[in-house]
Amino acid sequence: MRKEALFALPSFAFIFLLLLIPLAGTFYLSFFRYTTFIGKDFNFPENYIRLFEDPVFIKSLLFTLQFTILSVSLELVSGLLTGLIIHSSFPGRGILRGLVLLPWAIPGVVSARAWESMFNYSYGLLNYLTDSILGLRINWLGNELTALLSVAVADLWKTTPFVALIILAGLQSIPEDLYKQAKVDGAGIFRRFREITLPLIGPFILVAIVFRTVDALRVFDLVFVLTEGGPGGSTTPLSLYAYRIYLGGDLGYGSAVSVSLFLISLTVSFLLLLISRRRHGFE
Amino acid sequence: MLLLIIFIAVLLCSCTKEERLTLAVGGTPEEVLKWEKLVDEFEETYQIKVEVLRQPADTDLRRQSLVVALTSKSPDPDVFLMDVAWISQFLESNWLYEIRDVDTSNFFPVSLQAGLKNGKVYALPLFVDCGVLYYRKDLLDKYECPVPETWDQLLKCSLKVMKEEGENFYGFLWQGAQYEGLVCTFLEFSASAGGSLDQLDSPQNLKALRFMRDLIHKYRVSPPSTYTEMKEEEVRILFQSGRALFARNWPYAWALHNSEDSPVRGTVGVAPLPGFRRGTGASCLGGWHLGISRFSDRKDDSLKLVKFLISEKIQKRIASLMGWNPARTDVYRDLTKSMKHLSAVKRACLKAVQRPAEPYYSQISEIIRLFVNGAISGRVDPSEALKKAENRIERLKGYYR
Repeated sequence: MRKEALFALPSFAFIFLLLLIPLAGTFYLSFFRYTTFIGKDFNFPENYIRLFEDPVFIKSLLFTLQFTILSVSLELVSGLLTGLIIHSSFPGRGILRGLVLLPWAIPGVVSARAWESMFNYSYGLLNYLTDSILGLRINWLGNELTALLSVAVADLWKTTPFVALIILAGLQSIPEDLYKQAKVDGAGIFRRFREITLPLIGPFILVAIVFRTVDALRVFDLVFVLTEGGPGGSTTPLSLYAYRIYLGGDLGYGSAVSVSLFLISLTVSFLLLLISRRRHGFE
Repeated sequence: MLLLIIFIAVLLCSCTKEERLTLAVGGTPEEVLKWEKLVDEFEETYQIKVEVLRQPADTDLRRQSLVVALTSKSPDPDVFLMDVAWISQFLESNWLYEIRDVDTSNFFPVSLQAGLKNGKVYALPLFVDCGVLYYRKDLLDKYECPVPETWDQLLKCSLKVMKEEGENFYGFLWQGAQYEGLVCTFLEFSASAGGSLDQLDSPQNLKALRFMRDLIHKYRVSPPSTYTEMKEEEVRILFQSGRALFARNWPYAWALHNSEDSPVRGTVGVAPLPGFRRGTGASCLGGWHLGISRFSDRKDDSLKLVKFLISEKIQKRIASLMGWNPARTDVYRDLTKSMKHLSAVKRACLKAVQRPAEPYYSQISEIIRLFVNGAISGRVDPSEALKKAENRIERLKGYYR
């Protein structure tokens, strides 16, 4: 063995111990009917068949996908705008860059609590505003559509800085000369954005998409605090559903739900990486 | 690397501590402090050292930490508290050690029953909780309404008072958000109509569920936020702000309604919940039981601690110090002198009903709250909701048969 390989050992050990072993354990458990109150017997593929028969699972799968698509696309737009703003030079830019990062630095549960109080029907800030301007109160967390939107907005607020930061890094890697030349050639601001900025930060946008998608698929804290899966179970992501089943003592079926979430994340990130590689030769 | 090894070695060493009795309690920081006081008293009397393991305040998180410790057969905690809703899971998982030689004659019957398996005691109630009805004495007097004994009386009086008190005043507040508390409220409406949660698709349950929905959508005596936000604290805060006539809540709200800065201080009365007919009212049983871990390394001392905590003296202390409702019926007479609400609480607890006692109750509960919440939000027809829920529960039972 080459000496250099030794240097990879710690990170390999880390991945093996903390990621691969638990992962294999979850796969293994999902092949059993394993509850704390009946015992353990092999029943593959029953847990997986049960997934397809389970309307709560299907509903939470749909919610997870809806939430992911909605929040990631919103975050891309706002992250791109924020990135462009903090990239341009103006007095106080340093302070603004620091401030923009704030939501990202706040722990998820804390920001979720803050949003919860803003969405509150009786004393929330949002209803205070809608009440005094339009004279109506909206039950934000109370019906399926507004609950989904509310969760997405809270997530948008929290993760825009992350996307903005990645995009800022992309923007800074573009040489100024390109813009100067384009200007000389008479390209307007939108043309410059479309022909120079977008293609060059493309790989960065894809990185942001991959990270955010995988993150959004396993959303937990935000929903746990804001809606606890309600109303009517319409905002239960897969992670929360798996957690609930584990808590009830059914480790086998809970593992099957977790495995399904893992497989979905894996597929999605694999597809995204495939796209990025084909488009940008980006590895 | 060397540092890492030393670090791990230190970690391992600290695990093999001396044996000591451990008690897992959760709740607010003040509650935990009061626990430590009680434990000090035990230590002095028995000369046994007890370590209080602090758990979070949230019920789900408390359960999580116990489930993790017990599935891994950890010797700590020796003694812990269980919500009455999870006892079945703990009983059927064989996690509890039999509590022998205790006098069980003085406990509330339904509450005691929850901790039994094959006639043996595995968990003993430390304190009980039962849904009660809070009402505004001043408003009932003003509009000449009786303290309601039937839902009909409650409804009529609510409509009457709401007409006069104007906008933003509600007749009846109750817990309707999609969470465990909704199963309790539904159980109370159901039992007071003569129904049961073991047989969901029944005319009695349909009557109960329709009534719940109508309270919000037809009569509008309960706010629309009932099915989205109303949990214990939301109900308590709204009632305490003086904007409601009746509220269904747990006994803990009594002390807060009468706290110094409460707008409704001194005007609140408490009674057992009404029924569809006089005398059919029922309360959902709540409360926490004491249990001893089967994996405990200090079983004898654990027994002593449990017996100490259910002794008459400590049961009284639990009421005055913690504000909890003792699990023993025989201590109430002395307590009602200083805590007036306790006589209503005792009457309510004597008519308590238990949620379905299945080890996978939490999944049953998920189904019930899903469909009941759907029905009271007006999205699903009540009879369809009950049929679907029943089907779903049957299917669930099949998986665990």
